[in-house]
Amino acid sequence: MRARPTSRVLRTLIALGTIAALGACDRTVQPTEVLPALEVSNVDADAGSWRPIVLASPEQVPVPAPLAVTSAEYRAELEAVVRAQRTMTPAQRANMEYWSSGGVLRWNQVMRELVARYNLPPAPRADGTYVFPDADNPFADPNFPFANPPYAARAYAYVSVAQYDALKAAWFWKYRHNRPAPSRTNATISTRVAATTLPSYPSEDAVLSAVSAEMLRLLFPASVEQITRLAADQRDAALLSGRATASDIAAGVALGRAVAAAVIARAGADGMRNAVGNASLWASLADSVRARGETPWTSLESPARPPMLPLFGRVAAWTMTPAQLLADGPPPPPSTNSAQFRDELAEVRRTVDGLTRAQYAIALKWNDGAGTYTPPGHWNDIAAEPVRDARMSEVRAARTFAWLNMAMHDAAVACWGVKYQYFNPRPSQVDRAIRTPIGLPNFPAYPSGHSTFSAAAATVLGHLFPARATEFAQMADEAGISRLYGGIHYRSDITEGKAHGTRIGAIVVRAAQTDGAR
Amino acid sequence: MMVMTAEWTRIARALVAPLAALMVTTAAAAQSADDGFPVERRQLRVTLDHGVDAWRTYWEGTRRRDNENIGTLRTRQTVVSAGFGVTRSLALFAALPYVATNASQGVLAGQQGAQDLSLTAKLRLLETPFTRRGAISAFVYGTGSTPITDYTPDLLPLSIGLGARRATARALLHYQDRTGLFADAAIAHTWRSTVTLDRPAYYTNGRLTLSNEVAMPNVAEYSATVGLAAGPLCLPITFIDSRTLGGGDIRRQDMPFVSNRMNAQRLHVQVMLDLPKTGKAVRLNAGMMQVLHGRNVGLSTMWSGGFTLVRGF
Repeated sequence: MRARPTSRVLRTLIALGTIAALGACDRTVQPTEVLPALEVSNVDADAGSWRPIVLASPEQVPVPAPLAVTSAEYRAELEAVVRAQRTMTPAQRANMEYWSSGGVLRWNQVMRELVARYNLPPAPRADGTYVFPDADNPFADPNFPFANPPYAARAYAYVSVAQYDALKAAWFWKYRHNRPAPSRTNATISTRVAATTLPSYPSEDAVLSAVSAEMLRLLFPASVEQITRLAADQRDAALLSGRATASDIAAGVALGRAVAAAVIARAGADGMRNAVGNASLWASLADSVRARGETPWTSLESPARPPMLPLFGRVAAWTMTPAQLLADGPPPPPSTNSAQFRDELAEVRRTVDGLTRAQYAIALKWNDGAGTYTPPGHWNDIAAEPVRDARMSEVRAARTFAWLNMAMHDAAVACWGVKYQYFNPRPSQVDRAIRTPIGLPNFPAYPSGHSTFSAAAATVLGHLFPARATEFAQMADEAGISRLYGGIHYRSDITEGKAHGTRIGAIVVRAAQTDGAR
Repeated sequence: MMVMTAEWTRIARALVAPLAALMVTTAAAAQSADDGFPVERRQLRVTLDHGVDAWRTYWEGTRRRDNENIGTLRTRQTVVSAGFGVTRSLALFAALPYVATNASQGVLAGQQGAQDLSLTAKLRLLETPFTRRGAISAFVYGTGSTPITDYTPDLLPLSIGLGARRATARALLHYQDRTGLFADAAIAHTWRSTVTLDRPAYYTNGRLTLSNEVAMPNVAEYSATVGLAAGPLCLPITFIDSRTLGGGDIRRQDMPFVSNRMNAQRLHVQVMLDLPKTGKAVRLNAGMMQVLHGRNVGLSTMWSGGFTLVRGF
């Protein structure tokens, strides 16, 4: 009683198997942006004269004169480069290629990864309370930090500003000391990445490695190991690529650290340490709203979670004074008792009830919620492409990210100030039938942070890349409306957030226009 | 009613007197896309099944927890499937689930829709007597499946599926005793296509990927069944161990992610009964599946029920 498959059976099986195999054959993913080796379109030789953000002047961080290129010590350094290049391992070569696409772009990717890694709210304890992350105990549960959107906006800004100031200072000292690139002194050194006329002392790669590592270790202390390794890798790549000798690198590290120290001093005094508030502050926010006859925001998480960074609105901005922050703010939101409020609430419900797949895709695309690089990270992601395409010098790439991230930091400060001024409820709080297909942020609705961040970012990027200004503006609009599609914002949150963000962006553009870079 | 009673008597006899060998030749069997019973030649079997899966506790990585922002996660699933015996050894199957999810607490919206269409070819390679008491048969299965709607896999655990195309190769050894007792052992390997998200970057397994494409690790599955197929009754009990061969854990207080290392050990108990008086044209199915242990999955219990219409051509 033995069953034998017929040839027809076999053919059927082969056909089915082929279909199944074809269906599943596309199985690998390119994990990172494709970044070609950087061949700068302009070395920006005058960048040493561009106005610093935090430093008073580049001379605040002096770089002593290097040894003469004719000295025995320097010749020995050059020989060390030659030897290192001869004995390069495949891993070293891969590392060199990784960094050859530009350190600013690479560190920006790293920063986005760190934000995504730490953008998780603390889990509730068994008694229904939450512990706040502790900078002195970053590996505990919860990890430090909780890199939520305001934290992330501030982190991206501080790292970018520190990189920008450090590279301008590096350019200043490079042209002051004018040590030629190693390959110009020793012809046996091959330049493995595109050579430029940029003087080599201090090494810009080393400056960037040190300033980035110092800033990131402070902001993401639990990832100290990865950060430190990457910084060392970048310096190895600088030497192996024939761009820098040991003394170029040592001077660069010292400069990067000195600039980071100045920026960290500012960060320590910017008000962030008080942004969490305390239980009596949280209660007083609701009380003051009730006293006005309005419905205050409440957390819809279970157990109820304290509101996110209620005093972030008092953190120092980069381009605006506290008075300016108040003066430029949006008008009050519609009263929770008004007909306009009821109409806008009904619109939210109608939208989520009739959500199309295309609208849902937009809501998911811009969600940038917990566990992601946040909306400011999304705009860094967007900016990376035109920066790459423009083949910017490291200092100009740093400038681009610095102004972009200062704009989003200021947008976060301004937006958070308004959110906690009005402390108004999310749609799902007022109409429990509104359920969200993306998740609900744990802070008040008005105005939309996405709209504010995005309008500010698009305004600044539109100024820096005028040919793409319309495209950026459309992206910002899409990011804004995505929050209505997600059922978590009323329309006036979005329109007023966009207007507010656009005003902030314009202020940042005016500041950028006077920094000396053409 | 009289007939019913007679049927139950036969079942009782089968249970208490396993040597009632006469019944073996007429024994009912599951004849589904994954078991060790062939579909008769030119027989069409159409099944409608409804199941409700619920969990309150889940594994966040290897940590067992509840989540008050989810409450109980319920997944209701209606599956239409059909099998056809092409020859005595080859059968083809198709199945399509309609899935709806719901969280009892929190603000996340449930999702629903038709999920993945699967096609399976089931081939009996051999059937041979084994001792004087029974027979052994061997089967291989090839399954291909593809999502037929554009649902998102990016809102787990509310998403209705994982969104990957899949290809599964499976092999099964089946021992059938004269008494109606049977036992199966099976292994399967599933390859999965990448999944496309609606966003340009995601973080999982310790790194940020700047792409909307997610690589999906393969899945291995091992299962063992013991059961009884006697008279109008078939009663299999299956232990299933499925392991995702890669992928990251859900991070602390994070949402699940589509490529997570989802592992589960489950026990599946089924009862199938040919409806009396229908000449085996209608069969009732009921089942219960319990997750015993897992990783990045819910500690779920699923109850299901349905019927199969059988017709020869």
